[in-house]
Amino acid sequence: MYIKKIVYICCMYSSELIKGTLKTIILKLLSVNDKMYGYEITQMVKELTGGKIQLTEGALYPTLHALEAQGILSTEVVNVGNRIRKYYSITQTGKKVAKDKVDEFSEFIGTMMDLLDLKPKLV
Amino acid sequence: MFVLKDEQIRFILEDIRRNGIVTEALQQDLLDHICCVIETEMLDESNFEEFYRSILPRFFKRNLREIQEETTLLLTFKNYYAMKKILLISGVFSAITLLIGAFLKLLFLPGAGFLFVVAIISFCFLFLPLLSITRAREQKENKNKIIIGIATIFGVLICLATLFKVMHWPFANAMWMASLVVLFFVFLPVYFFTGIRSSETKTNTIISSILILTAGGLLFTLTNLKASRWTDESTYTSDDRLRVAAVFVSEQNQIAYATDSISPRLTELQVKANSICSKIDQLKAGLIQFSSHGEGEQGLSESQIIRNYGTSLNFATAFLFDQDGKAKLDLMAIKKDLVEFNSFVEKQFSKNPSVLLDLNDVFRYGEKDQEVISWEQNNFDHLSIALTLRNFNQLVLNIRLVEATCI
Repeated sequence: MYIKKIVYICCMYSSELIKGTLKTIILKLLSVNDKMYGYEITQMVKELTGGKIQLTEGALYPTLHALEAQGILSTEVVNVGNRIRKYYSITQTGKKVAKDKVDEFSEFIGTMMDLLDLKPKLV
Repeated sequence: MFVLKDEQIRFILEDIRRNGIVTEALQQDLLDHICCVIETEMLDESNFEEFYRSILPRFFKRNLREIQEETTLLLTFKNYYAMKKILLISGVFSAITLLIGAFLKLLFLPGAGFLFVVAIISFCFLFLPLLSITRAREQKENKNKIIIGIATIFGVLICLATLFKVMHWPFANAMWMASLVVLFFVFLPVYFFTGIRSSETKTNTIISSILILTAGGLLFTLTNLKASRWTDESTYTSDDRLRVAAVFVSEQNQIAYATDSISPRLTELQVKANSICSKIDQLKAGLIQFSSHGEGEQGLSESQIIRNYGTSLNFATAFLFDQDGKAKLDLMAIKKDLVEFNSFVEKQFSKNPSVLLDLNDVFRYGEKDQEVISWEQNNFDHLSIALTLRNFNQLVLNIRLVEATCI
């Protein structure tokens, strides 16, 4: 039904591969950082992945607003110079959702590794 | 680092609004994000407006409005799941309830009507609207949304019309015809002419239109179902036998009158019986004429009326009873004569009440409880033309039989 017209995440990976991970990424980042604003989130993802994953604004803000409406995120408005900046932080409910999302994704990765017979690279 | 001036921030905000971002919170988010990008990436010597125009396409594939649409869509996403759940539950509930209702109706068990009402109301006012909304949301083009809307209106109307027909409620035929008008003159043309224009959907549209037309045609043939020819024939035969029997007994009575030395009381009996039978014949003729006229025909005989329109329910009641359900004067005059006839026979011939005409009120089980209804209601109210005529003939036969017992 709601197949996105907007490419979720612009990156070196195919969109099919990482579709559905946007919420997990946002929630994980916000659960380890006290509060973040939109631009900051995109920059941190870019930095952490060495530019391999870059969130597009067209996907980021609708998701942030939806998570806020669901009570998973809360917001705080701060005046920055002559404009408003909205900081997003995770709620108690959101923390549990974030943990579930990360656990689910981790389990999925494990399943895929078994399924595709992939061995973790040893450093 | 480049620092944006107030008028430049206002310019960006205005541009965001102009491009279809209507939610204030989203406007502020995007404004801050664009400002951050400009402040981080723009060189001091660059032209602000040119730079702004160059970075804006990063935010969308076709236009900025996409972000607003996506946000709105995601904000209603939660409702979508609830709607889908209700859609499935109401659909399964309606289907099962309807099937159980049909099963009960087939076996003449109680509760069928209640289940029909519940099933169709749930189907029409929960399942179909929710289906329409969810399907319409999936459509990108407005014309497809319009087609879904019209199809839903047709679906609701035809289901309600079916319910009204099954429950014998008023306006069933009007609703049925209205739904067919929507199907043939609104839905089908819109569906056909929008689908045929695209080469991709052309063949499917033609095939679907033929199927819809055929299904609509089948529904149209069900509009005014009559009883089978055999039912009409058997009803007519029953009516005719009574008429023949009444004539036979009347002739026998005439022979008896002729052979006996006729007394004054017998003469009076004969006059009274003939008078009532003549009034009944006039009333029957009036009913036949009224029904023929109502069906757009004139000069039909009793047999033609029974064969062609015998099952019509409205004419006899409308002819014999007023809107409050009270018998009209002609029928009441006959009843008065019948009461006098009974009294005369009882007095003059000392007949046992069991051989007299039964004109008593009767007990009948109504919709709620047992109720008392009058003789005229019991014999003529809410009956088909065929049954009304048959009851009149039965009455004539009974009068002739009572007359025979006295001669």
